[in-house]
Amino acid sequence: MRKYLKLSPMITSSGLEQAFLFGVANGCIYILLATGLNLIFGVMKLVNFAHGQLLMVGAFITYEVTTLAGLNPYLAILVAMGSVALIGMGMEKFAFSRIRGTEKLNEIFISLGLIYVFENLATLLWVNNYNIRIPSPLGGLSVAVGEVTIGYDRLVAMGIVIVILVGLVFLTKRTKIGLAMRATSQKTDAAKLMGINVDRVYLFTFAIGAALAGASGALYGILNPFYPTIGALPTIKAFAIIILGGLGSIPGAVVGGLLYGIAENMTSYIVGGGTWQDAIAFILLIAVLVVKPTGIFGEKGE
Amino acid sequence: MEYGTKILALFRSKKTIYASIVIALVAALPVVVRSPFIVGQVFTLMLVFAIYASSWNLLAYSGQGSLGHAAFLGIGGFASSLLALRTGMPPIVGLILGGFVSAAIGFLIGLACVRLKAWFLAMVTFGFSVIIVTIMIQYDSVFGGVVGFPTIPIASQVFPFPFFYATLAITVVSILAIVLIMKSKFGLAFKAIRENELEAKMSGINAAKYRLIAFVISTFFAGLAGGLYAQTTLFIQNSIFEASNSFLPLIMSVIGGLSTIEGPIIGSVIIVSINSFLPLTDKYLQPLSPLFPGVSNVGPPLRLLGLGIFLILVVIFLPKGVISLLHKGYDYLRSEPTKTVKSNGKA
Repeated sequence: MRKYLKLSPMITSSGLEQAFLFGVANGCIYILLATGLNLIFGVMKLVNFAHGQLLMVGAFITYEVTTLAGLNPYLAILVAMGSVALIGMGMEKFAFSRIRGTEKLNEIFISLGLIYVFENLATLLWVNNYNIRIPSPLGGLSVAVGEVTIGYDRLVAMGIVIVILVGLVFLTKRTKIGLAMRATSQKTDAAKLMGINVDRVYLFTFAIGAALAGASGALYGILNPFYPTIGALPTIKAFAIIILGGLGSIPGAVVGGLLYGIAENMTSYIVGGGTWQDAIAFILLIAVLVVKPTGIFGEKGE
Repeated sequence: MEYGTKILALFRSKKTIYASIVIALVAALPVVVRSPFIVGQVFTLMLVFAIYASSWNLLAYSGQGSLGHAAFLGIGGFASSLLALRTGMPPIVGLILGGFVSAAIGFLIGLACVRLKAWFLAMVTFGFSVIIVTIMIQYDSVFGGVVGFPTIPIASQVFPFPFFYATLAITVVSILAIVLIMKSKFGLAFKAIRENELEAKMSGINAAKYRLIAFVISTFFAGLAGGLYAQTTLFIQNSIFEASNSFLPLIMSVIGGLSTIEGPIIGSVIIVSINSFLPLTDKYLQPLSPLFPGVSNVGPPLRLLGLGIFLILVVIFLPKGVISLLHKGYDYLRSEPTKTVKSNGKA
């Protein structure tokens, strides 16, 4: 074990470039997770601390569909999104909707219960599959960008994130349900008076947020090894991103996610990776919150 | 009412009598149950977690939910054990100093936390418990937590269980102190901030100051519990910082009854019993194993799964915890005669 914090012996410009590109790709996965969390918060004013566990479930579902049914993992993402959306609706219907309007701390308690449920169900079902990865037909293929190489999988992942985000913006800005979501987010009581079924909007929002987590789980599982207790750290990273980007703002989450992914990979490259990588996230998070308790782009009030 | 008269009234009330009876019964337990495992580990651990959960509960009483209290449990545990080990001071002094070290660090973290909303605070405290593990690993030559080390015992854990009685005394004093704080001006301010921060501020309560006070007091008792925890297990290593130790006081307080005095104590008795005795029934779960081929022992994940479901059910259906059931039962017993009269009158 290293006793002292040492800089890597060789920091090269191509190494930094590589870390930057990897950071962008990882950032994209976190963006999906953070956007889902943010969407749920924006519309429902509810924080789902079990969001990272949905990522984990999404990764395992994609793995099962890919290995058992032999489906292309990039098509399996759709299956993961659909099933995780259903799970999310279940969470909202049977847990979170029951405590609406009660103390804020109850959300944290319910989330914690859900974390125990998801992690231990996953342990029972999948503990054999420790540190697995979703097999991808593009695995091992890479393309040279200047001095560095980047895997096709990472490029495809970025593309998929962009497509999903464009779809999400279309959904919220151009459709009727999107309008209802925005109305509910702005003023719940007024939305009710306008004949919007707020409970259904909430259910739909939760389904979309969970589907985003499912998609991020599938991409995470293609790029990184995973196991049943993988969910906790992504939740916190998504949180850090939201705090960087401001609660409730989707563009903020995109900017925050990219910044975070790049910062994380660059620091881990410069410091030499390992133990400090995750701690840096928190040091950053705490520093930001000390200076500005509402987040960098956060508005006053919420 | 003046604080003094209020406290006097508290001491004269029936609650004090009940509490004394409970303490006397607990003190008599080791005479009946002489098993070193049950008294030395299970009962003592219940007392330690009663302090720990009460410290978390006091923080929640002021509207702050910590998800990283294990950091302070661990700081208290390591500080007290290392002080006793390295400086040769009596372990009991180390124990109390451990609480102060934890409170000092709690003060610094609290400074960062007091202005945050519930969920931000939860994340920052959780983040701090991750950072502290990183620091512990990086400077392992100082702390020695990766491999761990045995602690110097305060008192023996075998019959007549002096350590159990020492822990009982510390627990009674700690919980009494927490009760007195909750009933004092501070407690009133904590409650006001929790119920409605804006109104509390308008009534002239400096919310940030009182939250910081709650944070420091809470981390002091968490550190004290950490020292006792290291004494109970007679060994300390970095695993004391793990997330489940942060979640346990929350689960205990919520299941027992949030923001009450008895809640965390009852929660601690329930959860420590589950964790200590249910593993003994693991062998009966073996028939389930073929259903989950990868798992060598289905007991632990099934227990934790059950705990998660239990927590959700309690939050939804018993928002005031198991203690509310006891209160209901008590009220029912007391009001039964009048009820029968009423129903007779109606019939």
